[in-house]
Amino acid sequence: MGSIAQLVAVAVLLPLVAGLICYFVRSSAVRTFSVVVTAIALIVVSLLLLRNGPFEYSPPPMAGMEWGTIILVADMALLVLFLALGIYLKNVLVTVFAVAQGAIMGYVEFGMGIRTEVQPAFFVDELSIIMALVISIVGSLICVYALEYMKDHEHHLHLETSRQPRFFFYMVLFLGAMNALVFSNNLLWVYFFWEVTTLCSFMLIRHDLTEVSMVNATRALWMNSLGGVAFAAGIMFMLQQAHTLSLKELISGQTPGVAIILPLSLLVFAGFTKAAQMPFQSWLLGAMVAPTPVSALLHSSTMVKAGVYLIVRLAPAYVDTHLSTIVAVAGAFTFLLTATLAISQSNAKRVLAYSTISNLGLIIACAGINTSLAISAAIMLIIFHAISKALLFLCTGTIEHLIGSRDIEDMEGVVAKFPITGVITVIGVITMLLPPFAVLISKWAAIEASVNMPPIALIFIVGSAATTLFWVKWVGKLLTAPPTAVPIKAEKIAALYVAPLAILAALAVVLSILVAPVVDLVGKLAVAPYYKAAGIAAAGGDVSTGIGIATIWPLFLVLAVVIVPVYLFVRVRSEDVRPAYMCGENAAGVSTMEFRSVGDKPEMVNNSNYYFDKALGEASLNGWANPAAIALLVALVGVVVWR
Amino acid sequence: MGLVDTARVKSPWILHYDCGSCNGCDIEILACLTPLYDIERFGMVNVGNPKHADVLVITGPANVRNQRVLRNLYEQMPDPKAVMAIGTCACTGGVFHNCYNVLGGVDKVVPVDVYIPGCSVKPEAIIDGVVLALAKFAGKGGAK
Amino acid sequence: MNDLLIVLATIVLGPLVGGFLFGIDRRLTARLQGRYGPPIVQPFYDFIKLWSKSRIVVSQSQSLYVLGYLLFTITALCMFVLGQDLLITIFVLAFGGFSLIMGAYAVKSPYANFGAQREILQMVAYEPILMLAALAIYMQTHSFMVKDVFKLNHPLLISLPLIFVALLIVLTIKMRKSPFDISASAHAHQEIVRGVYTEYSGPYMALIELTHWYELLLVLGIIGIFWATNPIVGVVLALAAFVLEIVVDNIEARMTWPWMIKFVWTTGISLSVVNIGLLWLVR
Repeated sequence: MGSIAQLVAVAVLLPLVAGLICYFVRSSAVRTFSVVVTAIALIVVSLLLLRNGPFEYSPPPMAGMEWGTIILVADMALLVLFLALGIYLKNVLVTVFAVAQGAIMGYVEFGMGIRTEVQPAFFVDELSIIMALVISIVGSLICVYALEYMKDHEHHLHLETSRQPRFFFYMVLFLGAMNALVFSNNLLWVYFFWEVTTLCSFMLIRHDLTEVSMVNATRALWMNSLGGVAFAAGIMFMLQQAHTLSLKELISGQTPGVAIILPLSLLVFAGFTKAAQMPFQSWLLGAMVAPTPVSALLHSSTMVKAGVYLIVRLAPAYVDTHLSTIVAVAGAFTFLLTATLAISQSNAKRVLAYSTISNLGLIIACAGINTSLAISAAIMLIIFHAISKALLFLCTGTIEHLIGSRDIEDMEGVVAKFPITGVITVIGVITMLLPPFAVLISKWAAIEASVNMPPIALIFIVGSAATTLFWVKWVGKLLTAPPTAVPIKAEKIAALYVAPLAILAALAVVLSILVAPVVDLVGKLAVAPYYKAAGIAAAGGDVSTGIGIATIWPLFLVLAVVIVPVYLFVRVRSEDVRPAYMCGENAAGVSTMEFRSVGDKPEMVNNSNYYFDKALGEASLNGWANPAAIALLVALVGVVVWR
Repeated sequence: MGLVDTARVKSPWILHYDCGSCNGCDIEILACLTPLYDIERFGMVNVGNPKHADVLVITGPANVRNQRVLRNLYEQMPDPKAVMAIGTCACTGGVFHNCYNVLGGVDKVVPVDVYIPGCSVKPEAIIDGVVLALAKFAGKGGAK
Repeated sequence: MNDLLIVLATIVLGPLVGGFLFGIDRRLTARLQGRYGPPIVQPFYDFIKLWSKSRIVVSQSQSLYVLGYLLFTITALCMFVLGQDLLITIFVLAFGGFSLIMGAYAVKSPYANFGAQREILQMVAYEPILMLAALAIYMQTHSFMVKDVFKLNHPLLISLPLIFVALLIVLTIKMRKSPFDISASAHAHQEIVRGVYTEYSGPYMALIELTHWYELLLVLGIIGIFWATNPIVGVVLALAAFVLEIVVDNIEARMTWPWMIKFVWTTGISLSVVNIGLLWLVR
């Protein structure tokens, strides 16, 4: 047991220590060293936890105080901080929500007369281990990438005193908070770490201290605080109705779901706000003003996953209830609408943000469908989406530094101008969109899981077509190249930029090829204990859902046959190159992309994507989509009257 | 004839370019595509794209403006290719041969394989000329 | 071993069947227009002629995209013939389509760009219909594997007639026939010059033609399994649908892409939803 204690301590406390070092020691070499060491330590610890398997652990009291008490005190301090922030920002909502949370927590701890302590303190099953792996591996790589990125970022902004100490304090602290969140068994502890992530998100979104970043950070704060109020209220009702706050007991099936429907709805509501589901998507979109590592870490692969983690974690508790159906509908609705909204966006980070929300909606919908196959699909999506989306955010950040823009239209020809970054970005998009890569296999599993709820299946199918549209437009733009036989030269780019990108890309590809062990981990170990069936299984190298089989290795073989011979054998000679067809009006030269326009003036061809702004833009859709989403959330919480 | 040569003769795809013609010859060319003469039964298809075309069919005289376009279209066609000059204007400049902007027949800009005189050319003459062009085409082999 | 033989037969014999089908297509179209039309073996002449042209490219990576289109379409056809998961087959076919679109994007050409945009829209239009058909087939056979369709004791056409009609719409789009030949038209027609295919030529165009033959077989196969109880009737059904498409092509005018999306989604999805709804009610 001693080694478990050490692993948990490293996973949870080392980031806190490293964060404090980053904050107080201003030397950039020490900061780099702390971050890299923490990254390596977290990755190693999470892998050791995987090898160890599930466990339960309660840390002994520290300095005479129970950890429960420490966390209670810290929680109250945090709520006071939020109150102070609300007053400082002159934001009514933040202030009111902080007061509400403080009042509810006070009542829970002191006014209810039911004990809130829970044994064990940490309940770590396969789902927690999977989340810890995602947080530690993907999160650490993003923090390493951020070292180089923030140097460039501050160079562009011409900052006199570096604000990196504060930045890395919150980034690294966040990793520890997330690990603790997924390990915790007591809902009060989950709530505390949940609010810590809200704080980190607020601090990181407003990092650049511009007007727009303050506005967006405030919006993120009040929306997440609303989720916090729901969480606190959920804890209160849960304690009242179930007399326990132990996740382990709640999902074991001892208390029937219908008896605790109200607290479960409130907790799911909190998950919805954290995952920026409709109508709360505006905080995540606004958060895109933050530096790219923030978007990658918090707002795509990790913090928002805390929201879906809670919903998936609680799924065995609300299985076979009306709540589950509403969760499925609300998740599917967000999946479809945000995928559609992404089509009209040309800002790459907004596209990624909408895509993130869309995938989170898909995960939530799977949790709502609440069968073993659906939950397996949800967990697989959590894993693979985190990897690919983090990769894409980091690529977008790199491209932004290379070309000075985040607009897709400006990214034309990136593969030719900056081949390393460009090809990795293309790989990133392909791993999100196409078979045999694991994100699509997870989506396929989700569709097959939804067959017993045909309306949900219909939404999944239509939404999947919408996602194709916006991804293909982006990756096509990257690939445009001038007609020339001159070989493409690799760009000069810092190793600390490329290494995280290459590792994430390799991870996405390799885990897609070796998806069978992941499937077994998810199906047999994570899901089967709660659903009496694995749902998803590996059949050789293939993935089987029971009603269908996805062949994996043959497809990778075909992909290799497509890529390798062309790369090895096809040589384009300069005399073979012709310009594009422009009705014969090509201006002089073979590599020209200009044509002779009015008055024989050469003009560059200007190709742009269709964005369907009038039909599918935010202005057209938000008008009815947000109210519809609000109605769904009202139904979510109001389902208690229906049972 | 070998298989490749047979295929080339049986599947000549046309790119039709009007250099500055009065459209008389163009109408006759299009008439060849109609059911009355139906040159599609010989495998001929009017593709609009030089990259897909085998035979460049030109009407009208070459002039100072369109020589560039004609040259571009000719160069964007892959080998082997054949060029047909249809109508007197395309052959020699016709009635426009000494206008200030006219260079003469299209052979001033691109090498021509078959000349079909006429003003305007009869569809039967066009088909005759096409048969001649295909014979030359098959004999060309073609560099890769 | 058996599977390997089936795959080899598909890869080798598929183009022969597909090429003849395309030849019949042109001949029948010509007859409907009161002409003679080219011989039935014309597609093979076209293929050999294209293959023998000199190799010119506009983009260094064009061969990659063409090969992707060809190999993934062949893979989708082989997966279908081996009775694999229909949803995965549809996704693999989509990978092929994606590869073609990337090829059109890889060159900075106005016509290819339009073609690419419209091709994406076409994919967006027909993919949901195909997947809904797979869902409806699941509701009958309780499996997504194509081989389980043959275990059903009644033909799918009886219980999924509306889905069948929706699939005919998909066939029209896939065959690039009017009114849906919006991103590139079928042979001997032009739309935005050659749309997605504009910048391909010679051997690469030959491979694209080859891919069409395989793709046609796959879509006709999906239509054919609607009478899986008697394979001969299934083949006749597929050929009847094929002839119907040719007739529709000659009657209809080409429409716009907004109309295509509206029509395919409202009609196609409504038909599918009604059919699936009826199945759900009687289950």
